[in-house]
Amino acid sequence: MNKKVETIGDVISNPEFREQLKAIVLERANAMPETLRIAIGSEEFKKDDLIKHIQNEDEIGKQMMAMELGFLQALTSGNIYRYE
Amino acid sequence: MLITRPDHEIVTKYCCIWSEDVIRFASQKFIDVYDLKGKKANRKEFESYVKSKNPSLIFFNGHGNTEVITGYDNKPLVDMQSVPSKSIIYARSCDAAQYLGPMLIQKGARSFIGYTRKFTFFYDPMSIMKPANDPMARLFLETSNLVVSAIIKDHTVAEADQRSRSAMFKNLQRMLSSEATFEERYAAPAMWSNINAQVVLGDLSAKI
Repeated sequence: MNKKVETIGDVISNPEFREQLKAIVLERANAMPETLRIAIGSEEFKKDDLIKHIQNEDEIGKQMMAMELGFLQALTSGNIYRYE
Repeated sequence: MLITRPDHEIVTKYCCIWSEDVIRFASQKFIDVYDLKGKKANRKEFESYVKSKNPSLIFFNGHGNTEVITGYDNKPLVDMQSVPSKSIIYARSCDAAQYLGPMLIQKGARSFIGYTRKFTFFYDPMSIMKPANDPMARLFLETSNLVVSAIIKDHTVAEADQRSRSAMFKNLQRMLSSEATFEERYAAPAMWSNINAQVVLGDLSAKI
């Protein structure tokens, strides 16, 4: 990435950044334990469902991308360790 | 306190079951609880209770979007046309703090605690017959219950929000620690998302 990223919206709306993020989030989804399900809004998903939504970049896929990016940004900024 | 807790599928069933802790706690504190469980979580019953009982606290469990909170079978309970009572509202529903929450405050609700994004939690599929024994769901639902428990304990809505988010953050720290299971570490981004999506609107000093 050679441009400064300000917000999650910047990443999602930029095709180059979005593809890079999508690859990361797909890897994360592939690592999801079979012993877990995730409830997002009114729906619940297992690993394979989640992967399809991310691949399709639909509302759930974008929600997952935003969630993972928010977490990564908090880890890299250190906010996750000093939140109050 | 008026509580809505539909139970028509797994996600609502989890929230419904986990709300029982709050109901028990309210009863111990001698607070009247009007419980719209399952099919009773419909608009007619809801509006009737609000009109006749004028509850000081409303706890919604159910699906939602930026403009609606739903009940049984995802049918609307509250929307942008609703006229709220002068209640404190906690909505364990997705996105409702974006437009619906501010609208309810503008129309007379005292305070609104809710989420600006989708409320997300993980659960163990082996526990769906006994959601109350699901340790993964506990991390998410017990800490969100704290919003209502703290209000019942006579804290302000701002304090209740803070207590809940602090408890979520404490869970998050544990989920990121070496003591955590792989599943707990995997679920950490969802906890961080909920912490940041939970907001309080309206009168921050409101109490029941």
